[in-house]
Amino acid sequence: MGVTEKPNYTVEESHHGSGPIVWASIIATTCVLLFLFQKILWLVVPFLLALIIYYMLYPPMQGLIYRGMNRNTAAGLVTLAFLLVLLVVGVALAPWIGGKVAVWQEIVGSYIQGGLKLLDRSLRALEANWSTLARARLADTAAERFTSSADRVVDHIEPIAIGIMAWAPSLMLAPFLAFFFLRDGRRFQRFLGSAVPNAFFEKTLYLLYEIDRTSRAYFQGLIRLTVLDTLTLAAGLWLLGIPGPFALGLICAVLAWIPYVGSILGGLLVVLVAATDFPDTPGMAYWAIALFGAVRLLDDFVYMPLTVGKSLELHPLVTVLMIFVGGAVAGVPGLMLVLPVLGVVMVIGETIGVIVTDPRLMARHRHALALRRNQASNDL
Amino acid sequence: MVKLFRPKKTTPRLERLHSLSLFVDLRPSELEIVDGLVHEREYLAGEVIFDEGEEGQAIYIVASGDVLICRQGQSEAGRVAQLGPGTFFGELALLDDSPRSAQARAATACQLIVFFRDDFVGLLDTHARIASKISRQLARHLGARMRVMAMAAGAYQHM
Repeated sequence: MGVTEKPNYTVEESHHGSGPIVWASIIATTCVLLFLFQKILWLVVPFLLALIIYYMLYPPMQGLIYRGMNRNTAAGLVTLAFLLVLLVVGVALAPWIGGKVAVWQEIVGSYIQGGLKLLDRSLRALEANWSTLARARLADTAAERFTSSADRVVDHIEPIAIGIMAWAPSLMLAPFLAFFFLRDGRRFQRFLGSAVPNAFFEKTLYLLYEIDRTSRAYFQGLIRLTVLDTLTLAAGLWLLGIPGPFALGLICAVLAWIPYVGSILGGLLVVLVAATDFPDTPGMAYWAIALFGAVRLLDDFVYMPLTVGKSLELHPLVTVLMIFVGGAVAGVPGLMLVLPVLGVVMVIGETIGVIVTDPRLMARHRHALALRRNQASNDL
Repeated sequence: MVKLFRPKKTTPRLERLHSLSLFVDLRPSELEIVDGLVHEREYLAGEVIFDEGEEGQAIYIVASGDVLICRQGQSEAGRVAQLGPGTFFGELALLDDSPRSAQARAATACQLIVFFRDDFVGLLDTHARIASKISRQLARHLGARMRVMAMAAGAYQHM
């Protein structure tokens, strides 16, 4: 098949990247989807969890298929094994959690008190130095308000517990959805492919693969980000001498899955622990704040663009800007969903942009339609 | 439990895949994995399958009908080959990102099985044995083509 002069009918993406119209459409579509998704969070969150479970269970399922098991049985077996592990972990942890609840209640109370004492000490130190603050009696006002809020913590527990119970049924959808992704994922991909005209088929296959690759890269990037955050925070907390550095680091890293809001919660946790365990050394709490601030900066501007952003092949500036846009459009859910949604919309948008602007592919499609029309009418 | 790992019985669909030269070495359990990866497309006589110069993303296997390989837009004068059932074309797409070296058109109404490059690359990672069997068939096919080309070049020199 050697040919000397090769005409250029390539359908691969332009190496110059997409134009401003395509990118404006991608960003607008991402915003609209985020706005819609926050209305159906009860479905979107289990769907995302199901995707994570799917990417976890896919390799063992493939292993079983290779050993001669059919796809349906293999999907059922790995999902069942996953549920069994969850059940065993739940049963094993339940008595331990039950026994510790009372202790945790005391610990939470003492940490909140420790945090309030730190705040009070800090404000009084500021008042001692700045007469304006002293005249405003800031420390007394803050102490009064926070003490009454701390007393009302018990009032907030009930709505949180009810909220968790309301979410439980939709979260139970996750393994169910994961099972069907495992069993019918290929069939769905082929079903989508079969709906595409022959002229665009190769490009669509490429698109479907890219979406799969993007989703996998995002979730793997998120796991890498969690490991990096945990290790950095644990190392910093260990150097400061704060107890349980690894557990604290892990909790903060998981909380950081919710950009900004999760980071604030994680920071508060670290400061409360530092202030309570070292009540006579307020400097420790300030060091903890400094450490947390540094890790957050590293996370938002280095780790996240390098892991999640890099896995989606997004420019770091676009990553950071889109996180802000996601938060503005859809609040906390928007912060969480913006990068995976943008990644998928970007791949679809760029591919559609390439296809509809390719005159050769459109001409081939029109030719195929004409052939089909002729075939349908040739005996009329 | 033992029953689950018993050698797989073949089905007409798997038998059809097994009859294609690219998959001839595969066992039924291996064919089932490949069957989950391939796509089927139907083309009318005269329909373009791919153009010369286009980036190749997939290899095509002729399940039924005939396919014409020719120079771009020269189905008669630029005719390179006509392929029948069981044969395959566009195989270089599995190996690299090189552009298609000729145009492929359906010579008659035909049914093609399409194997996407990224699925093949995934197979290399997860099922190296299946990928190696397919690669061996691919290598044999390329070797045979090189021999034909070498012979043709030799004959040309003697003319």
